[in-house]
Amino acid sequence: MTFGSTRALRIAALAVSASLIVSEANAVAIEKDTLKLGFIKLTDCASLVIARERGFFEKEGLYVTLEAQANWKILQDRVVSGELDGAHMLAGQPIAASIGVGTRAALITALSLDLNGNAITLSKELWTAMKARNPELAVPNPLHPISASLFKPLVDEARDSGSALKMGMVFPVSTHNYELRYWLAAGGIHPGFYTASDSTGVTDADVQISVTPPPQMPATLAQGTIQGYSVGEPWNQQAVLRDIGVPVITDGEIWELNPEKVFGVTADWAKANPETHLALLRALILAGKWLDASLENRREAVTILSKPEYVGADPEVIANSMTGTFEYERGDKRELPDFNVFFRHHATYPFYSDAVWYLTQMRRWGQISEGHPDAWYEEAAKQVYRPELWKQAATTLVDRGDLQSGDLPEGDGYKPPSSAFIDHVEYDGRKPNDYLKRLAIGRKD
Amino acid sequence: MKTASGQSILKLERVSKGFGATDARREVLHDVDLAVTEGELVAIVGFSGSGKSTLVNLLAGLEMPDRGSVTFHGKRVRGPGPERAVVFQTYALLPWLTVRGNVALAVRATASGRSAAERDAAVERCIALVGLTAAADRRPRELSGGMRQRVALARALAMNPRVLLMDEPLGALDALTRAKLQDEIVEIWQREKQTIVMVTNDVDEAILLADRIIPLNPGPRATLGPAFTVSLERPRDRTALNHDPAFRSIRNAVTEYLLDVGRASVPRCEQEEAFDPLPDLEPLPVGGAA
Amino acid sequence: MKSGAMRLLDTAGMPAMAFAIFLGAWSLVASSIETSIGRLPGPTAVAQEARNLLGAHTEERRKAAEYAQRMKVQAAEAKTAGKPFVVRKYSGPPTYLDQIATSLKTVFAGFVIASLIAVPLGVLCGMSPRAYAALNPLIQLFKPVSPLAWLPIVMILVSALYNSPDSMFEKSFVSSAITVALCSLWPTLVNTALGVSSIDRDYLNVARVLRLGWWDRIFRIVLPASLPLVFTGLRLSLGVGWMVLIAAEMLAQNPGLGKFVWDMFQNGSSQTLAQILVAVFTIGTIGFALDRVMLAFQRAVSFDA
Repeated sequence: MTFGSTRALRIAALAVSASLIVSEANAVAIEKDTLKLGFIKLTDCASLVIARERGFFEKEGLYVTLEAQANWKILQDRVVSGELDGAHMLAGQPIAASIGVGTRAALITALSLDLNGNAITLSKELWTAMKARNPELAVPNPLHPISASLFKPLVDEARDSGSALKMGMVFPVSTHNYELRYWLAAGGIHPGFYTASDSTGVTDADVQISVTPPPQMPATLAQGTIQGYSVGEPWNQQAVLRDIGVPVITDGEIWELNPEKVFGVTADWAKANPETHLALLRALILAGKWLDASLENRREAVTILSKPEYVGADPEVIANSMTGTFEYERGDKRELPDFNVFFRHHATYPFYSDAVWYLTQMRRWGQISEGHPDAWYEEAAKQVYRPELWKQAATTLVDRGDLQSGDLPEGDGYKPPSSAFIDHVEYDGRKPNDYLKRLAIGRKD
Repeated sequence: MKTASGQSILKLERVSKGFGATDARREVLHDVDLAVTEGELVAIVGFSGSGKSTLVNLLAGLEMPDRGSVTFHGKRVRGPGPERAVVFQTYALLPWLTVRGNVALAVRATASGRSAAERDAAVERCIALVGLTAAADRRPRELSGGMRQRVALARALAMNPRVLLMDEPLGALDALTRAKLQDEIVEIWQREKQTIVMVTNDVDEAILLADRIIPLNPGPRATLGPAFTVSLERPRDRTALNHDPAFRSIRNAVTEYLLDVGRASVPRCEQEEAFDPLPDLEPLPVGGAA
Repeated sequence: MKSGAMRLLDTAGMPAMAFAIFLGAWSLVASSIETSIGRLPGPTAVAQEARNLLGAHTEERRKAAEYAQRMKVQAAEAKTAGKPFVVRKYSGPPTYLDQIATSLKTVFAGFVIASLIAVPLGVLCGMSPRAYAALNPLIQLFKPVSPLAWLPIVMILVSALYNSPDSMFEKSFVSSAITVALCSLWPTLVNTALGVSSIDRDYLNVARVLRLGWWDRIFRIVLPASLPLVFTGLRLSLGVGWMVLIAAEMLAQNPGLGKFVWDMFQNGSSQTLAQILVAVFTIGTIGFALDRVMLAFQRAVSFDA
């Protein structure tokens, strides 16, 4: 036998065994292939919807029903009770549930669904008053990001006259809550503490923040019950198109490429259905990739999302934020390709440092009632965020050729320290207590 | 002519019955004595509101006396039962059941030992007895007053009673139906050899039907008056009786007794002058104030 | 003596005129009200939306049929290739008509549960003044409680207790049905107790003279005699239950009309108001129909005693 034919034989042998491995991987039994997943009618449920509508679930052998839920609490309860196999969740939900802020439950996540995607909208009256005090805002295209300090005088006046300004967000442990508070605090406005006796979080507040269901936000803003809200899409663009309010800042301008929604399941479910879980992750990663692949895909996503069983809002409203643009004040529409990100910038990878950031904000405002050492934050994050599962799913996709190896982030799950915040305070996920000390307003321990 | 067997099967001895709380107690019957012989037809006549229904209820066992005893065949009556069947003043037919259903209820309750075929036969027999076979599938609301009373009678008979207690059974009927039913009652009584105690406010009816007439004195604290024996021959013809001097004399006797007793019992309001006298009115002088 | 024409006017003409005036007024008012999600829709817009919903239903059924066809083909292929194949149910969203059916099924389940509790308890209360005295405070205490207050407790209990993996009913269905039962059992209970306690004494005397046993007394005398009031109670209960159901579904996420209303509200689209109004008219029409059906039953068991 010549050297060449031995090599050829070896290659052939490798090829055969490789194909056996691949077909074996496909043949590994999925424990449960008929699933029901929950979502809330916000545009960042897009990965779930696209995974179903474009066949990514079906390709993994999964038959998925998507069911809209009434609100975040009910969604979480139904995942815990087993009525839903998994759901579109706020990044803070599994974390809060694990440490017992709110209802305690063992939820985990192995996939981030998107980055950015929220905005803060103020009422027309408030915006007009801001423009009056700050002539630099009164131009057609004011400079962004707009700091909350520009309306601090209005906040102080309102508070001193006895009727403090009120703002809404969607859930006590929502990303919207923490982003709103961060923005206000960065502008020198105190957003309120949670204490043992105050579960609504308005202690010492300059602005009173409360929970409002997203569909009611535009109406309550128009009525004047609240003067602003922090929410995902389509509710900010809805306010613009109906001429009720003015989005003044997107969350990407508060913290660049911040984690937003995750795909959550109970720890027990993940333990009982490991293959199913991986199949779901694979489908969702590919759906995210599809969403970020081209503007055309985004346009198709808009059509799909505007169906009444999904997000249901008018297509123009959804398109305003899903197709690379975002409209602030009526007529001030800007290019914002990263308004929501589903795959690029490692958007689907669940970074521990993201979990730790949410934990720091929960401590900062008092939802976590006592201080903890850095090791506690690390342990809490590792209990909830499971990047190892993500890696397993992604590796399979790389083997199949659906992903590039460059799509997998390097490192140990912690992003490097970053100051990409509106107030440029540096955040290092490994040193949460230092971070707390550096933030001007909020608990420092 | 039928002869009574002579045995006294249903007895009231010094029975008193009252209603109401202790301080506002109204005694309806006081020291009532009654002995009903087997096979006889006794009529109890009296004024309205004098306690006739209470009397029937006591005889039936639907109510218990305050003092004295009610005995049936010598044994104390402790409750109602089908052996002392009641024909209620208001018929008390179950309106959701047909004629047959109403009668069948009674048969089923009292003849549980017999087979279904025997029970059905008994039902049909009772219905035929009162001449309602053609209307057996109708509901009470589709029947006339007379027919309803016949159903009540059939139901009572279906219980195979020893005594039939009838509380003003014909009071709500028109004269013609009444006459017809009176004849039917007598016929059934004779055929089935029943013992019947019938309460009525019609003296003529009592004389027409009964062997004995016992007046019930007016209340409160009503007692039974002396018994008037009716020795008129049967069958008693209504039109012929009008010319019968014996009939007239019994009639006068009973009626006079009742009137006397009625007059003697003075109405309370006259006794106590319960209502305030009206105030004296003085006419205003014409043409200006006083 | 009213002529036929006058009678027709009373029974059909007057309501038709009132309805026409209502539609006219609605049309007028709607065109002048702008809300945060668009103009208030008038009758034509709502009718159009109803057609849309029916169209969506037909479309969804067509897709389901296509899917079933595909499954059949795949199953046949798998069979010839000797490979196992499991046919999966079509996983599309429920259509408007599906949601109506779900709501009806849920309200009937709740109604049956309520009746099974209320009728025996009502008979007990009607026959025994002591039982009534004991239960009445509890009845008065729980009667006014709103379904929105019961629902969280019911949902938590159902989650904890109704736990078999392949249960026949969804938890959301069970929660909704139980909440409907809890809120709607009171009219039946009260009316049954009333019906039983107010039966003609003579009927009971007949039972006593016949020496009927307690079973016969209850099932042959007491219940038939009180049936008219029992059915009045049942009719009122069904009406209450239908109203409560819509609220319960919104929170329990039972896929019926209540969930439809909340989901469409969450959409905030320009069809939202029209869709919700279609739901309003649907709910009203069904409630009316249910009431008529119960009224027919009630009349059937009534007797002019």
